[in-house]
Amino acid sequence: MFVMKRVVVIAIAAAVLFCLPLLTAGGGTALAAPSPKGSCKGCHADFASVLPKGHPAVKGTGLAACSSCHAPDLAAKKPENAYSVRMHRAHIPPKGKLECTACHSWVPGKSFGLIGRKGSFGKPDKEQMELLKEIFASWASSGYTDSLHAEAGIACSQCHGKGLPTFDDTVENAGCLKCHGPMEELAKKTEPKEFKDRNPHKSHLGDIACTVCHKGHMESKVYCLDCHKQFGMKIQGAAKK
Amino acid sequence: MKGNDQDEVKAGNAGGNVGRRSFLKGALAVGAVATGGFALNMAVPGLAEAAKRPLPKKWDETIDVVVIGSGFAGWSAAAQAAIGGAKAVVIEKMPTYGGNSIINGGVYASYDDKFHYRQKMGLGDDSPELHMQDTLKGGDFFSIPALAKVLAEGATDGLNWMIDDGGAVIRPTVVRAGGHSAYRTHAAGIGKVYVDALKRIAEKNGAQIRLNTAVTWIWRADADPKSPVLGVEVKSGRKISNIKVGKGLILASGGFSRDVKMRGDHYPFLSGENWNCTNHPGATGEMIRFAQSVGADTLQMNYIQLYPYADPETGILDTPALIPFNGPGNGIVYVTKQGKRFISELARRDHVSFAQIGLGPQGKPTYTIFGDDMVEKMGFTKGEIEAGLKKGRLVVGNTIAEVAQKAGLPQDALVETIDKHNKYLAEGKDPEFNKPITKAMLPMTKGPFYAVAQWPAIHHTMGGLRINEHAQVIDIFGEVIPKLYAAGEVTGGVHGTNRLGSNAIPDCVVFGRVAGRNAAKG
Repeated sequence: MFVMKRVVVIAIAAAVLFCLPLLTAGGGTALAAPSPKGSCKGCHADFASVLPKGHPAVKGTGLAACSSCHAPDLAAKKPENAYSVRMHRAHIPPKGKLECTACHSWVPGKSFGLIGRKGSFGKPDKEQMELLKEIFASWASSGYTDSLHAEAGIACSQCHGKGLPTFDDTVENAGCLKCHGPMEELAKKTEPKEFKDRNPHKSHLGDIACTVCHKGHMESKVYCLDCHKQFGMKIQGAAKK
Repeated sequence: MKGNDQDEVKAGNAGGNVGRRSFLKGALAVGAVATGGFALNMAVPGLAEAAKRPLPKKWDETIDVVVIGSGFAGWSAAAQAAIGGAKAVVIEKMPTYGGNSIINGGVYASYDDKFHYRQKMGLGDDSPELHMQDTLKGGDFFSIPALAKVLAEGATDGLNWMIDDGGAVIRPTVVRAGGHSAYRTHAAGIGKVYVDALKRIAEKNGAQIRLNTAVTWIWRADADPKSPVLGVEVKSGRKISNIKVGKGLILASGGFSRDVKMRGDHYPFLSGENWNCTNHPGATGEMIRFAQSVGADTLQMNYIQLYPYADPETGILDTPALIPFNGPGNGIVYVTKQGKRFISELARRDHVSFAQIGLGPQGKPTYTIFGDDMVEKMGFTKGEIEAGLKKGRLVVGNTIAEVAQKAGLPQDALVETIDKHNKYLAEGKDPEFNKPITKAMLPMTKGPFYAVAQWPAIHHTMGGLRINEHAQVIDIFGEVIPKLYAAGEVTGGVHGTNRLGSNAIPDCVVFGRVAGRNAAKG
């Protein structure tokens, strides 16, 4: 009983917290809380105007209108007509102000899906949800490797695989090399003209993880420079923009 | 020599310290009753590490043999534990495996090898006994003889094991290095050759590694000599978990040369950030402190070795920096900026380092001069010499005068020094520095000749955890801490005041194997 009560209290508190800033942010801006959940009308009064060019007309002004054709990519298989991941960047900070639950249904520890659709991405509890929000914000705008991928329309599952990443998740080399490989070609690209053995993709440390240097959600750093301070190598995703 | 039952673990017997130990145990027991089970913690009150830590109520997992560190000692231990039938997992805090070992110079002291290179090349006699004696003498007899004996007697088997089971390829030569009285130092170019061989043996026997995983505590309930180490707390990313140790915890976490505070605390002369260091950034001493916090004894922490021949600019021990170490038995010559010899080239590392430091800051750097005909005999390839030249680490000349000119040394002085040294070799006597002359030392009469610059950099911490010949960690009362083992640079007492060059890998491999074998027995 106690546990149940606490969950309800937290849910109410969360709802209040989530909605308040949105409700108060209304005056003059285009942003307001979608009301009810899953409705886009609160912000996009002229719903047709947010559709891409050439998009057929839709009935309704909420997620349900989209979901009749677009499915959430629960299996991480990039099906045709899946919801574009770019939707996130338009709606979450810094561009937007919406909380995850504006579009997503979430029962802590049990399910996380899209409002009005069956199926779940995973079972994030409160702690994991905090992590996901933090990482998602980084993905949307950090300037790190994650946001470089966000700009290319690449979301969690394309690196992390199906399901929601957990605390100790990482990305194996095979995951990176799917798009960036094969390793031999990467090594060819970064081979210095003068000293061929000073190649970060073919180092004397042998078979190492891409993530040694290329951090997803933190500052990327050239590991070589820890010892070879004079090498002057550069890396993308090195600092916040 | 054989049959010294180095594999047999003896249970710690109660010594004469019962009173003090009981007192300590009693004091901790009071705490335990009052608070419901705190972990033993001897850290200085007030430190974050001294926080009262309740023992884990539940363990996230149980692993038979947990090995901390993935260098020579760690992989040797994991391999041997896995061969012994235990589930072995290597925990590595860094994002890459191999620690310092993978950037080590690959020199391995052993009286013999499966190819018998020393005998085949006619480089004189050697024995484990002589290796042990050199080790004791080179460390000013501060080594614990029983430990030096294990090293010397296990070195050859360890080397052949890496060759036969791990596919390690050693170079077809044996050199005589500073402090050694025999040609016994084997070369592989770089330590990675052995790390990868050991990793292969370990992994094919089922051992696993977890990178990016740092130990943040060792769990032990109290200081009773019967009280074993229970497990470790580890941090991986943001996740903290507790691993219960089934059979043994093996500390193979290396030295503390990169722990600026720790090295300065023990050896104030080496305080501060200004010293160059050959080590990787992960060579910090937290595992020693964690072990001390559960009662482990340490010894000889103030003996910290400078590598005399590091790259003067960066402190890195690259391939050119290995030449001055490998070459003395083949006739290389060390000179000052003035082109004069300053020490016997066969002197110990500490003596060579302090001879250089004695020249004062304006004496930096000194140089090693060598000839082309020595290159392969010293364990190098022509390709490595060419790479060194391209990077500007070496200079070359057809005459000694040309080398002097390119290195910025006074030509006349260097020519005179090398001529004199050639004469000493011919006469079999070095009246200046009393270097023992051997027939394998080649005079520099025909070019090309080379010079490489060198200067001391912090390299190896001889001190560390006290162990016995079974690699069991000993507590401050002289008792074995059950289930706790250590091997390699994290331990102390094997090398005394000064480790002989090329004794580090056999130390790690031999004691790693002993620890792994014993831990697997549980």
